[in-house]
Amino acid sequence: MEAHTAAGKLQGLAEDALWYEAAHVVGITNALNVVADGLGGAGRLFSPVDGPGTPPEVETVYAEIRAFYDRKEVPLAFRLLGHDAGYLAEFWAAVRHAFADNRLSRRLKEALAFAVSLTSRSTFGAAFHLEEMRRLGVGERGVLEVLGVTQMFSSYTKIADTLQLESDMGVIAPVDSTPAPGGRAS
Amino acid sequence: MPTVRLRDASEYPEQAQKMFELSKAWFNYDFKQPPAMSRVMAWDPEFGGPHGRAMKRAMGPGEFTRAEKEMVAAVVSGVNACVY
Repeated sequence: MEAHTAAGKLQGLAEDALWYEAAHVVGITNALNVVADGLGGAGRLFSPVDGPGTPPEVETVYAEIRAFYDRKEVPLAFRLLGHDAGYLAEFWAAVRHAFADNRLSRRLKEALAFAVSLTSRSTFGAAFHLEEMRRLGVGERGVLEVLGVTQMFSSYTKIADTLQLESDMGVIAPVDSTPAPGGRAS
Repeated sequence: MPTVRLRDASEYPEQAQKMFELSKAWFNYDFKQPPAMSRVMAWDPEFGGPHGRAMKRAMGPGEFTRAEKEMVAAVVSGVNACVY
């Protein structure tokens, strides 16, 4: 991990803010996938909240989700959380913020989420983020690029782990000495 | 600690020295010793060669930049819990 963070910084993504954003995308993507893949097949034991009986406060969040993804159906991961409107609203706010255009583009964030989902073998996440990448304009070549990078570094990482290689790349990265957002430099 | 002894760059044959030079150019960094992974992949050029070329093909600029792809690689490594 240090090798690519360092290489990415050397390639121009030098600011830590970019890597914080990427890390948030990784975390929240995994959170979506855990619920959708883990409970998606639970059937009546844990059914998604949808249809005419959906509480209004849940429907309000669902409307935001549909608008954000420009689709009629709310993705399963969110419908499974509709049993607790307060939790859903806070979780959705975190997802929306993590995936919105910011220092990193939404397009790149979806590519990161696709890579995370492939790597963690999430059938929900791989399909969902592939669809989002395409909706945001990533072509077949771009999809294959992300697929290739994901596959190649799923190989390198296991070679490194098998031989228990210690990171020797972190030191090559430039250090960002700016303070935390809103803070002061020390 | 590595489970194998990582050889010094000087212990590798001429063909590997060329790979190490390419590694410097790839990272745009003048390493004192090639990165551990470069030395591992240079151990068997018939594996490391095509593996490295496939990686470079995947990492080259296209719809996504090289830097963006390094970020993709970083998150893959993170999900795989690989500290390297």
